[in-house]
Amino acid sequence: MEPISIAMISDFFHPAVGGVENHIYMLSANLIRRGHKVIVITHSHAPDRVGIRWLLPSLKVYYIPHLPIASSATLPNFLTSLPYLRTILLREHIHLIHAHASLSAIGHEAILHSHLMGIRTVFTDHSLFGFDDAASILTNKLMVGNLKNVDAVICVSHTGRENTVLRGQLFERNKDDSQILQLRKSVYVIPNSLVAQQFKPCIQEPKETITIVVLSRLAYRKGIDLLVATAPKICQLFPNVNFVVGGDGPKLIEILQMREKHRLQDRIELLGPVRHKDVLSVLSRGSIFMNTSLTEAFGIAILEAACAGLYVVSTKVGGVPEILPEDMISFAKPEEDVRAISEAIDIVQNGLHDPIKAHERIKTFYNWEDVAIRTEKVYHTVLQSRQIELMERIRRTMDIGPFAGLIYTIILLVDCVFFLFLEWWMPREDIHYVHHHWSQERFKELVEQAEKER
Amino acid sequence: MTQTLKQHEWEKVLWKKQAHPDNYVPPELFLASLRRNPNFRPYTYWPLVVLSCSITQHLAVTFVFLAVFARLKEQILDPRSLICVSVLCFLIGYIIWNALDRRKENPERQATHLKALKSSIMMFLALMSLSPVLRTLSAATSSDSIWALSVVLFSLNALLADYTATKPEDSHEGLSSVLSMNAAVSASVVLASRLSTDVSVFALMLFSIQSFALFPILRHRLQSSSISVWGLITIGLSFLALYLINDLSRTIMWLCFSTLFFVTLIAPGVLLWAQKYKNIIRGPWDVAVPKVH
Repeated sequence: MEPISIAMISDFFHPAVGGVENHIYMLSANLIRRGHKVIVITHSHAPDRVGIRWLLPSLKVYYIPHLPIASSATLPNFLTSLPYLRTILLREHIHLIHAHASLSAIGHEAILHSHLMGIRTVFTDHSLFGFDDAASILTNKLMVGNLKNVDAVICVSHTGRENTVLRGQLFERNKDDSQILQLRKSVYVIPNSLVAQQFKPCIQEPKETITIVVLSRLAYRKGIDLLVATAPKICQLFPNVNFVVGGDGPKLIEILQMREKHRLQDRIELLGPVRHKDVLSVLSRGSIFMNTSLTEAFGIAILEAACAGLYVVSTKVGGVPEILPEDMISFAKPEEDVRAISEAIDIVQNGLHDPIKAHERIKTFYNWEDVAIRTEKVYHTVLQSRQIELMERIRRTMDIGPFAGLIYTIILLVDCVFFLFLEWWMPREDIHYVHHHWSQERFKELVEQAEKER
Repeated sequence: MTQTLKQHEWEKVLWKKQAHPDNYVPPELFLASLRRNPNFRPYTYWPLVVLSCSITQHLAVTFVFLAVFARLKEQILDPRSLICVSVLCFLIGYIIWNALDRRKENPERQATHLKALKSSIMMFLALMSLSPVLRTLSAATSSDSIWALSVVLFSLNALLADYTATKPEDSHEGLSSVLSMNAAVSASVVLASRLSTDVSVFALMLFSIQSFALFPILRHRLQSSSISVWGLITIGLSFLALYLINDLSRTIMWLCFSTLFFVTLIAPGVLLWAQKYKNIIRGPWDVAVPKVH
């Protein structure tokens, strides 16, 4: 396969930490391993992370000087990053951009601008949104406009795909019968993944006490209210069960109050914030992982815990039912319900769950190389397809609605004019192109040479 | 044959390597868990009309109040007779309120009566002593500003008022209904400054307390009684409002009439028609609501 130049574009990237950040990094690293050229474009971070940085293995990161407004997201301004993006995409000879996360403004902007330079677009959605609160309505409206003209959309779970298709109106008219709306062919499901080697189960001596691990941000959306309601009941029902709770957030106080009220200080241990590299050591202390999330697109934490050999109890929400076979996970309703956890305690107590076997199985389910191959396939399909013409773009944009459609069309056209202005103001001949790419062989040679000299 | 077919069947899971491309989904399984308008109960016309009566009543009371104010200002109405009417209304209202309460036995009835009497006398005296102050409070402001301000405050009052039909016992007043009452009383205060005598200011304030603070409480209790009484009260208040306004201006009367008519009979129809556009989308992606006691 011909190597392609890909730009991953998202507001969420290292040095911030999180699911999306990790996904972009791992995907890029594996695409580089497969011989492609990948760069990442994100916004700058205070105090001094701005400009070009390199991450291992030969991943070039552009930090554009934009200020984030809240939780690492930037304001959606549609046009302002065109000068930066144009220069970067042209000088790096990019064929295809891959935008991540629906709350990332810079990703949406890149989708809007790329067609001007003949660059193709792929978008990955990482989260689920509702349809009935103000924030969701606004984000969804922004997304509809952008996804009308994107070449391919990747979702991380089947539930995520249903959600994204409804939010972004990713339907097309049937060729035979134009009355029927059908799902666009360019919507893919490629799951998240994990590095199974990083989550090896520790062989534990069979112990009398069973430890339940909870690792999550302590916020409402993570269902901490459920934990607060059920933990005392579980402690009362099973005298040999202890809790280890890791994480920080606004609901920490409620957990502390619950612990105090029921006098469970010696049975519920609170660890506070846990760094990602310490996750395994926390997980290996327990044998059951409890996830109380109220919504979850994929649930990477569940997968990590299962991979580390823990039996998982989770609320049945979002994409969680899809990620593990039914014999590795017990589902609970989002209620004050201890049935699922009792089932899990039963399974673990009777030794019906083998951590080593679970780890081996998950190794065969998920790996990043597979994700990279599947994503590569999407890229190739996109590159082989026909670029959408400007008139077609305008027609599609007008389809959004009488008001939003008009606004988006105006943005689209102003963007074109702005681009023409930039072509005149900063001609392509003056751009400082990148001629020398990172060469893994050369790097190896140099390293070997340096080692010899030493 | 069925064996091989089974092997290639698509499953909604991520952990299994499937024989289908990543963009494949069987059309019949796609969005299978989507539910549109769950727990949807279409409205019917007459119950909606009954419910909208509380808005009609509120508007009618506001119109009556404005008509009374206009009479006081033009000095057509003797403020003393308005005070008498107010006290009479209060007594009738209090009796009805108690009669409707009788169903639920209350052992401390005597004590509550005494308390109500005490607080009403307090209110009476407080208003009486305050009325000279209220009369001159915004006297320096020009009348145009007062009219504009009172329009804004009365609109706020009508918008924020609590029109809900069912109300659990001993529930606290919501913020919006408290704001609504305050807006109405403030509107009466600014209007009162246009009156010439202290007695008329006192009469107007007393009447405003009756119609904007006490009547909504009584209305909630009336609504849970019989529908015919409810309808009669609505019609009675509406006609009273129209009759009082008719003497002042024919045009305004027609304006009021069309407002009340629209709110009572046409608005429910519009709501019924708009219902066909209702489209609630529910699915597994929704944030679950934890059920915790």
